[in-house]
Parts: sequence; C-alpha cells; structure tokens
Amino acid sequence: MKRETSLPARVLLYSVLLIFTFMTLYPVFWLIMSSFKTTQEFQVNRLGLPRRWILTNYPLAWKIGGFGHLFINSIIYTVGSTLAVVLLSLSAGFAFAKIKSRATPFLHGSFVIGILLSAEAVLIPLFLMANAAGLTDTRIGILLPYIGMGMPKGIYLCTEYIKSIPDSLVESARIDGASYPRIFASIIAPMAKPVATTLAILNVTGVWNEFMLVNVLTSKASLKSLPVGILKFSGALSSDYGKQFAALAVGMLPMLIFYAIFRNQITKGVSAGAVKG
Amino acid sequence: MKASAAGVGLGPGATGVVSPGSMKPTKVSGAKHEERWAYALLVMPAVLVYWAVMAFPAFFSVGLSLTNYNGGPLWSSMNPVKFIGLSNYIKMLRDPFFSVSLKNNMLIILVSVFGQIPLGFILAYVLSRRLVGLRDFFQSMIYVPTVISTIVVGILWQSIFSPYGPITEIMQQLNPMWENTLFINPRTAMIPVLIVILWMYTGTYLIIFLANLQKIDPEVIEAAKIDGATEWQALRYVILPALSGVVVTSAILAISGSLQSFSLIFAMTAGNPARRTSVLSLYMYDAAFRGAPDYGLANAISTFIVALSLVLIALLKFVENRAGGREE
Repeated sequence: MKRETSLPARVLLYSVLLIFTFMTLYPVFWLIMSSFKTTQEFQVNRLGLPRRWILTNYPLAWKIGGFGHLFINSIIYTVGSTLAVVLLSLSAGFAFAKIKSRATPFLHGSFVIGILLSAEAVLIPLFLMANAAGLTDTRIGILLPYIGMGMPKGIYLCTEYIKSIPDSLVESARIDGASYPRIFASIIAPMAKPVATTLAILNVTGVWNEFMLVNVLTSKASLKSLPVGILKFSGALSSDYGKQFAALAVGMLPMLIFYAIFRNQITKGVSAGAVKG
Repeated sequence: MKASAAGVGLGPGATGVVSPGSMKPTKVSGAKHEERWAYALLVMPAVLVYWAVMAFPAFFSVGLSLTNYNGGPLWSSMNPVKFIGLSNYIKMLRDPFFSVSLKNNMLIILVSVFGQIPLGFILAYVLSRRLVGLRDFFQSMIYVPTVISTIVVGILWQSIFSPYGPITEIMQQLNPMWENTLFINPRTAMIPVLIVILWMYTGTYLIIFLANLQKIDPEVIEAAKIDGATEWQALRYVILPALSGVVVTSAILAISGSLQSFSLIFAMTAGNPARRTSVLSLYMYDAAFRGAPDYGLANAISTFIVALSLVLIALLKFVENRAGGREE
C-alpha cells in the first residue's frame, strides 16, 4: 500500500493546478498593470509591466466616474438590504421553526419556492410597479426589491438553523414568562449568529455586484451603484484605456478586500447556500 | 398578497373574537392568543416585503404576458388593456431572435453543467485527497473571479479578447497574419462569453465539492484502499456515489445560474454582433426597454425563462431518480 503519490504524478498535478491558478489570476494582474500605464504606452506595450508607473489614472477615473457617489450608494444598498434581510429572515425563521401554526406550510413554502425565482422573472413587473407607485429613482425603491430577493434563501437557511436549536430552551423561557419577542432577542438571535453571518455574507456579495435591477430602476446619476457607474467606462470612455482600467480596478478592489478578510466565511456560505437549489 | 394577509390575520383576529365569549380558563387561551400575535408579528414584515416584490410580480408577469399592455396606466378607459391570450407567446416563438437567444442559453447551460461542474470536481478531488499541499491557497485563488463584480469581469474580458488585448497580441506574435474577428464574426462571438463563464464560476463548484468531499469519512476510503482498491476504484465506487446528491444540487445551481447571465453579456457584448450573442434575459430586456416597449412580449419571455428552468430542474430530478433506482 502506498500512501504517497508518486513524484511524476505530483509534478503533473501541481502543474495543472498552477496553470489553472495562473489563468485565473492573469487577467486580474493584466488589468492592474494596465491601469498604471498611460493610454499611449498601453497601445505599444500591451503585455509588459509599465515602463513608467503612472498613478494619475486613478484620481481622474474617480472624478470622471463620480465614484464618491457610487460608493456611497453601493454601501447604502448593500448594508441596508443586508441588515433587513438578516433581521426579517431570523424573525420569520424563528416563528416558522418554533411557533406552531397552520399558516406555516403555505407561508414557508412560498419563500422556499422563491429560491428558484430569479431577478429576471420579476424585473419588468417591478419596473412597472415602481413607476405606478412613484418609487423609481428612490433609494427605497431599490432597497425593497433587494430585501425581497434576499428573503427566500434567508428564510430557508434561518428556519433550518433555528429548528436545530432545542425546543426545551424556548419552552423553559416560556414557562419563566418570557414573551416571544423577548425570547427572540435574548435566546434565538444570539444563538443564530453563525447563520446570520453566512446569510449576511451571501447577501453582501450578491447586492454589491448586482447590476440589472438597479440599472433598470434608476435613471438619476446620484442613485446609481458601482456596477452601473463602471459600465460607463465601456461605452464612450472605452478608448481611454488607462482610465478604463483604473475604473475597473477601483470597482474590483472592495470585493477583493472583503474576500481577503472573510475568505473562510464566504467559502462556508457558498457551500451552505448550495444546500438546496 | 391577499391570501397571505388573510392567512396570518385570521389567527389573532379569530382568537380575539372567540376567547372573551368562551369561558375557558383565561390563562390557556391568553397564551394561545399571545402565541398567534407573536407569530403574526414575527412573520408579517418578511411576508409583506417578499410577497410585494417577488411573489406578486411573478404572478403579475404571467398575467401581463397574456395582454397587449405596452405602457401607460393599466386601467384607462381611453386605451384599455386587452386580453390577447397566447399571442405574445406565438410572437415570441416566431421571432428569430428568440431561437438565437435560446440556443445561446442552451450553450451556456451545457458549458456550465459539463464544463464547470466536472472541472470543479476534478480540482476539488485533487485538493481534497491531499494529492497536493497548499489546498487553501489554490482554493482561494481559483475562487477569486467569482467575487469580482460581473460588470467588471465583462468589461475586463471584452478588453482581453478585443483587437487591442493580450489574446490578439499573443496570437500575432505566433502568426503575424492573424486577425482578431472574434467579436465581429457571428459564428465565433459566443466563444469568448463561454470561456468567461467557465473562468468565472468554476471556483464555486470547487468550493461546493471540496466542502462535501471533506464530509466523507476518510476511514471509508482507507478501508477500500486496504481491501486493494486503486485510487480510481475508490473514486468510482466510494466517492462519486457519496456525492451524487451534490452533483444534482450543483447542476440545479448551474442551470438556474445560466439563465441569469444577463449582466455579463450586457457588459461584454451587449448581444452584438447583430444580437447574435443575445440570451433570453437580454432578449427580454430588449423587448421591454429597447425601442418601443412591448411589455406583453417581455413578460412572455420572462415567464418562459421561469418555466424553462422549472422544466430543466424537473428533468434533472427525473434523471436522478432513475439513475438512483438503477444503482440500488
């Protein structure tokens, strides 16, 4: 019985993985290198490192793209919807898991089925409804769909998780006279922290990168989020390569930092989010 | 919307009426009463938001797909919205851009199911069996593309494949006569899109498979090895059967993900040349927002997308059941 893989096999496996990793990272590396070149240099030196490192692309792209606004909006949409999704999913998940009601199968089922509903399925009705309700070009008109879209997975994950908390904890608190909101705040919410973290991370990555809805539901520049703002650099500004790549790098950086910090939780969230399609 | 409000509202309302009348011990019915109120309070916000922005629009979309609505107020006497049956669906099926979009969507599904999933599995397997060290490093690096905004990915790869990008540069070093017509030629325009889809999402399946491979008891595999199983036999008879459920889940994810490739293609090709790289979601967007709005047609398309994903998933489940039945 041999436990160790033979040397040639090892070399082969390592080279496959290294090639794969190289192909994964090279486009990102190329993008960052290109963002430090002037447009003139980019045209003659497309593959190499910058001969002269230029930093000015960044402040110029920031100004042209209005990145200040874009960042603020993206943060508002991401943080606002994530807080709401986590809170609403936990509270409804608590009710579904721990309070008996004949309404649960129907209500809970309506959320679970929604896991299969994509933004595409509701894009046009949402646009028409937002128009009718006067919610186009408002922040709440963007936050509400984001919250609703996060609910199916949120309810599913939270209900399953809270079910695994022993009933006896809730029952003994009831006997001691605690109200349900009280039990939620002091027992369930603290114990459900792991699932809340997973859900928050799934939601942050989803909303931060979301493009289609916010693009359709906003026309005012002051309400657009990062992905919508960045798209501007592929149209009219696309021949100004240096600034285009700087804009892309700025758009990419926040999520790379977020990933670097929460790598383990993101990995866990992805496999937890895939428990059921 | 109505159904849910009634379903929840019934609870506290009904007790409120009954409990004062019936002379049961107040403690029990009081607790029941409180329980129903608490249930409604805890569930209501989530239900309201979700039904307003997801469930209702989904039904609304099906309804609109049966009408000739094309903007303006829904209930006006001047220009009333007419029920036109399945006309929008017939129009959709006759539209050449529908078949182009459907074909491209199918290509994306094929690349996702038969590209991303096997590739993700192979990488995960190699990493999980400790055939190589540095597992975390490789896993983290291969997942990087997934966290980058789809729009950034789309523009970045559009540049990479464009005549001024590295692909052209490298090809011209090899063959100075090579001309980059990737995005201009309708026959090849989908190839870059498919490559990017493979690049972007393989990491997701790597993570899913790696997490589930780690759940398999290593002793089972060791036992098989002691009994003389080769690496390949252990894979075929121990590991793959244990992962069949995960494969199905991944395929469901891949299918529903494939039908959502709007942003990437919007940023990369915008459906060009001549809408040859369109997908169903882009086709829907164009029907609603490009030129004169045709909301009936657009909603027929979105209903078709939902139906298609349900049918594909049902088909997958069917295949799973049959395959599972044979193995027993």
